[in-house]
Amino acid sequence: MLGPLQPLIDMVTSPLFLMIVLFPGLTSIAIIGALLGWLERKVTARVQLRIGPLYASPAGGILQMFADLIKLSFKELFVPENSDAFFFIMAPTTGLVIGAALVGLIPFAPGLQIANIEVGLPAFLAIITLSPSLVLLAGWSANSKFPFIGGLRALFQQTAYEIPLWLSALGVIMMAGTLNLAQIVAAQSTGWFIIPQALGAFIFLVTSVAEMERLPFDLPEAESEIMMGWQAEYPGVLFLAAQGPGFVKLYAFSALFTTIYLGGFLGPSLLPPLFWMLSKTLVVIILIMLLRSTFPRVRLDQLLRAGWTTLLTLAIVNIGITYLLVVGLPTF
Amino acid sequence: MTDLLFLAFAAVTIGAAILAIEARDLVYGAAALGIAFLGVAGLFFLLDAAYVGWFQIAVYIGAVVVLILFTVMLVGPKMGEAPLGLKRVSLLAAILVSLLLGMTGALANATAFPGKDSCGSGCDLYLLSTSLLKNYGVQLEFMSLVMAAAVIGALALSKTDRGP
Amino acid sequence: MEPLSSFFAVSVILLGIGIYGLTTKRNAIRILFSVELIYNAANLNLIAFARLRNPPIVTGQVLVLFTIALAAMEAAVGLSIIILVSRLNAEIDLSKLSKLKG
Repeated sequence: MLGPLQPLIDMVTSPLFLMIVLFPGLTSIAIIGALLGWLERKVTARVQLRIGPLYASPAGGILQMFADLIKLSFKELFVPENSDAFFFIMAPTTGLVIGAALVGLIPFAPGLQIANIEVGLPAFLAIITLSPSLVLLAGWSANSKFPFIGGLRALFQQTAYEIPLWLSALGVIMMAGTLNLAQIVAAQSTGWFIIPQALGAFIFLVTSVAEMERLPFDLPEAESEIMMGWQAEYPGVLFLAAQGPGFVKLYAFSALFTTIYLGGFLGPSLLPPLFWMLSKTLVVIILIMLLRSTFPRVRLDQLLRAGWTTLLTLAIVNIGITYLLVVGLPTF
Repeated sequence: MTDLLFLAFAAVTIGAAILAIEARDLVYGAAALGIAFLGVAGLFFLLDAAYVGWFQIAVYIGAVVVLILFTVMLVGPKMGEAPLGLKRVSLLAAILVSLLLGMTGALANATAFPGKDSCGSGCDLYLLSTSLLKNYGVQLEFMSLVMAAAVIGALALSKTDRGP
Repeated sequence: MEPLSSFFAVSVILLGIGIYGLTTKRNAIRILFSVELIYNAANLNLIAFARLRNPPIVTGQVLVLFTIALAAMEAAVGLSIIILVSRLNAEIDLSKLSKLKG
């Protein structure tokens, strides 16, 4: 009845075919192979007494971070052959100092500020301009291709974001009439600057993410393209020192964003100012992390084009809007 | 306190400036130049010109040193470093420099210059900004014109016909 | 308080280093270093001299803001010229660049 299809059905139902496709054959090979991968992980983890980060400590493995830290600091510390040892060690450690200096400028509560200087906002932005040159020196000193490409990318990236970053901060300075960060917070007692400065806050957020070299703008590291870029050659403790400034800068920039756009430590007085400051900063940090997990990495030319055309234009428009808000219509 | 800070900044500035000119590797020279700029910025802070100091850091280290490093990397760090023999030019330079240093000694001994007083209203940021925008507004506009010309000139110079 | 003359001394030494580099070096980038050092000497002098009067005059700081901006432009144009020269001649030793010689 099935006529011409009969041989085919015979073949499919024959024991040999079933053996090839099912049991000792293809399907079972794939499943058992995958299961063995799982079993090997489990067995070695049992033997070496390793438990997963979720169980390593309460609160979702909060201590795993410190375990990694201890592990990294016991790794062998060596400087690659033919590299420039001075810059190789100097660049990441100076980066840490720069990150710490940034935090010192932020007012966390009235009086709780390490350096309350008159020109706090330009000082913050001036200190941050030092880091791309350090990244280039670190990449150059490793005497290796990918780190050098990463360093050059950091320089290109800086030319893209630097000018919009300063121009967007200018809007805040115009609204507050001062460069002092504590006074900028005080000027927001009538209303947070994020409402009149929404455009400026957007530009500031985008450009500061580019400055922090985080996704979607992590071109100098870009692990899937140039395998960690400028950090590729760093061993042990130096890798920690190279990684550290990224997180310190994330903290400092989020605190600065809170200070100049979200009213800093201002808030209802049932809770202390420090609580408001830190919780707002945490919100900004989580927002930046959401950006990281949502957007794909941009290309360098896309970033440069966006920086020099879209963001620059928007920043100048923002200055015009701020002028209208602060001064009113110009009279001739 | 100020004395110690002054000595530290002055030593860093002068040492880094010498290193910038004499370092064999141009990358080291560029980094030393950056440190010399930082030292000058520190001297500006000591003279109560904090805003100018931060401006110096942002522009010189954030822009000029970055450009120099970029050029050094692009041109090649080892390029154009032929050993120098003692020539008439360097002799002239040595004479000039020692003359200047002698003048410095005379200056340091002169009592015509008073010590630096407390700054008071003269170093006010408000005064600086109003003076910049009101008294020197026209000059500021010309400055931005020159800056636009420089940007266009640099673009025109570095544009190549190959590539998209 | 530090006497102003010591700031002038630092400025003059910087100027001397700059002139020394300008006259002895032949690498174009090195010469740019020297020019930048001379700029810095001038800036330091302007800021220090602005403190001579009491109360100090603010014009010195304004002038220095202009000078810093000019120096940045000069570096941008100068470095793009250097890149162009190195691309055309594979050489940035100024004593060997003699194409314009008549």
